[in-house]
Amino acid sequence: MSDRKTDPRETPFRNPGWAGNTGEFDLTEADVRGDDFFASRPLDGGHPSGSAAYPFMLAEKDPEATLFEGPWRERYEKILTRYPEKRGALLPVLALAQELRGHISAATMDEVAALMDLPSALVRGVATFYTMYNKRPVGRYLIQVCTNISCNLCGGDEVLAAFLEHLAVDLGQTTEDGLFTVMEVECLAACGFPTAVQVNSRYFENVTAGTVPALLGRLRTEAGQ
Amino acid sequence: MAYPYTHDKEIRVLSRGWGDPRTRTLEGWKALGGYEGLARAIEIGRDGVIDEVKASGLRGRGGAGFPTGLKWSFMPKEKTGPHYLCCNADESEPGTFKDRELLRWTPHQVIEGCLIGALAMQADHVYIYCRGEYFEANQVLARAVEEAYEAGLAGQDILGSGITIDVTVHQGAGAYICGEETALMNSLEGRRGLPRVKPPFPAAVGAFRRPTTINNVETLAAIPHIVKHGGSWYRQWGTEKSAGTKLFCVSGHVLRPGNYELPMGFPLEELIHDVCGGFREGRRLKAVIPGGSSVPLMSEADCAGCKLDYEDVAARGSQLGCASVIVMDDSTNVVKQVRRMVDFYAHESCGQCTPCREGTTWLARILLRIENGRGTEEDLDTLLDLGRQMTGTTICVLSDSAAAPVASSIEKFRDDYLALIRRGEAVGAG
Repeated sequence: MSDRKTDPRETPFRNPGWAGNTGEFDLTEADVRGDDFFASRPLDGGHPSGSAAYPFMLAEKDPEATLFEGPWRERYEKILTRYPEKRGALLPVLALAQELRGHISAATMDEVAALMDLPSALVRGVATFYTMYNKRPVGRYLIQVCTNISCNLCGGDEVLAAFLEHLAVDLGQTTEDGLFTVMEVECLAACGFPTAVQVNSRYFENVTAGTVPALLGRLRTEAGQ
Repeated sequence: MAYPYTHDKEIRVLSRGWGDPRTRTLEGWKALGGYEGLARAIEIGRDGVIDEVKASGLRGRGGAGFPTGLKWSFMPKEKTGPHYLCCNADESEPGTFKDRELLRWTPHQVIEGCLIGALAMQADHVYIYCRGEYFEANQVLARAVEEAYEAGLAGQDILGSGITIDVTVHQGAGAYICGEETALMNSLEGRRGLPRVKPPFPAAVGAFRRPTTINNVETLAAIPHIVKHGGSWYRQWGTEKSAGTKLFCVSGHVLRPGNYELPMGFPLEELIHDVCGGFREGRRLKAVIPGGSSVPLMSEADCAGCKLDYEDVAARGSQLGCASVIVMDDSTNVVKQVRRMVDFYAHESCGQCTPCREGTTWLARILLRIENGRGTEEDLDTLLDLGRQMTGTTICVLSDSAAAPVASSIEKFRDDYLALIRRGEAVGAG
């Protein structure tokens, strides 16, 4: 990767994260992702209607952060206004807690329960039912590789093996530098562009075992290493 | 600026704005005639809207193919409290990837459809239940909803009509089962995504115990066009019973996979060989799953002359589902792929019903044993027997979905199973 350009988004990569680029596609990643739209939602959630949508995936997590204060408190209260019953807001509130803390520990589940006046058994039941709540800390980049049928037909298993090999970790383990955790994921709904890989909030499509080092290099660049 | 993988045979109604970042904005959507459907809906009133949707012959695009107009007419006419509309954007059926494109390229198309639907069913609040993994779509959608509020298209007194409809983007958190409508409602209420026993049907007792209708993203995205141009306009495409255009998600071993918007009833072979560019050199068709991983497999013989509409695919022993065509060439190890699909169902089973919770895991373990060359011929009978006991015995159809590819693959590719059982040799590499 000696020819890496300064902007990591220009790192040579067959498909930097949108459906269907085969090289002849004339949109840039900025066009597709749109800086206006992506990673720029205010911490307080903006208008209540969309306040449940993640503002962005914060790189820095604070497992000790208070639930919730400042703009996060505003956002929490906006979310509550959108449901006829307080319990309805539970999923977005758990997501908000994870956004802030990086994972949802049993203690966080209980805190959310106390905050929302819900039985802690209910919150624990919900938090452990859904796979997107990390029950333990993960690396700065959570790499999720789809190995379901459409990706599998086109080499999903090899892509997963390549990630594990290049990072020298087992499935679900975090690398020693704390940068990467690799997991297997069920269908990401990018089946036409296999193999689909989700890294935090971003999709990378048409990933092959051969492009895995480039993808990891790009992520390391973004992390400033 | 073309969206990749377009084809001359496509009829781009829903996918017209794809690939153009401008259509993500209110301005860009209006430039394509956006929100004219909503204005007409206000003009013709709720009965008028339901009549147009009925006349269009639109059927639910989430998989079941239930007539949308009829579904809408089940909602109570007299209101005794709030009504809700849920837009099911929890797309997670393996093989399906159309809703994500609709949401992130044309969010206003979806929102306009939601508003028209809410108007027709007197819903006070629309919840767009968007899959949690769709961070980008969520952002785009949230921004679009805010724009709609600012422009007076959502919220109080829409376009001066006195009607109030709120729209909220609600994020899921990673559960396939929440795409099932009653599980979606439980999830929206802040519970685990466990499907509910029907009846009562959602139109009577739905989200927050109020009348609710759940529609797929693609269904709602078609609504603005139908209301704007009239139901008969939509019928110019498709067949008598399966009207209109459909987004076909083609994945697997074809040269040009992707989303193609084609009329219902489009020939399957033409889709594979012409639109999608056929197979790699020297490869040929082995099997097709026409509607996402929950439907039975079709062999090459089943595919001959097949038309992609609800009726013809059903007549060939499978289902059109959400038209997610997974194509497998002759390099495919069918046993491995079926095992992988069943693993998915075992992982995603909510665990409520015993036949599903136990059955999916048993299927997966027996299939893995066969795949590893340690199976017996009796295992095939056990699989079929298990499949029968998992079909029609549970609250939702996840269990049936897991059993369908197993039974159909044993029926159609028995030799592949026997090669593994008798000689320990896999037919096909991956």
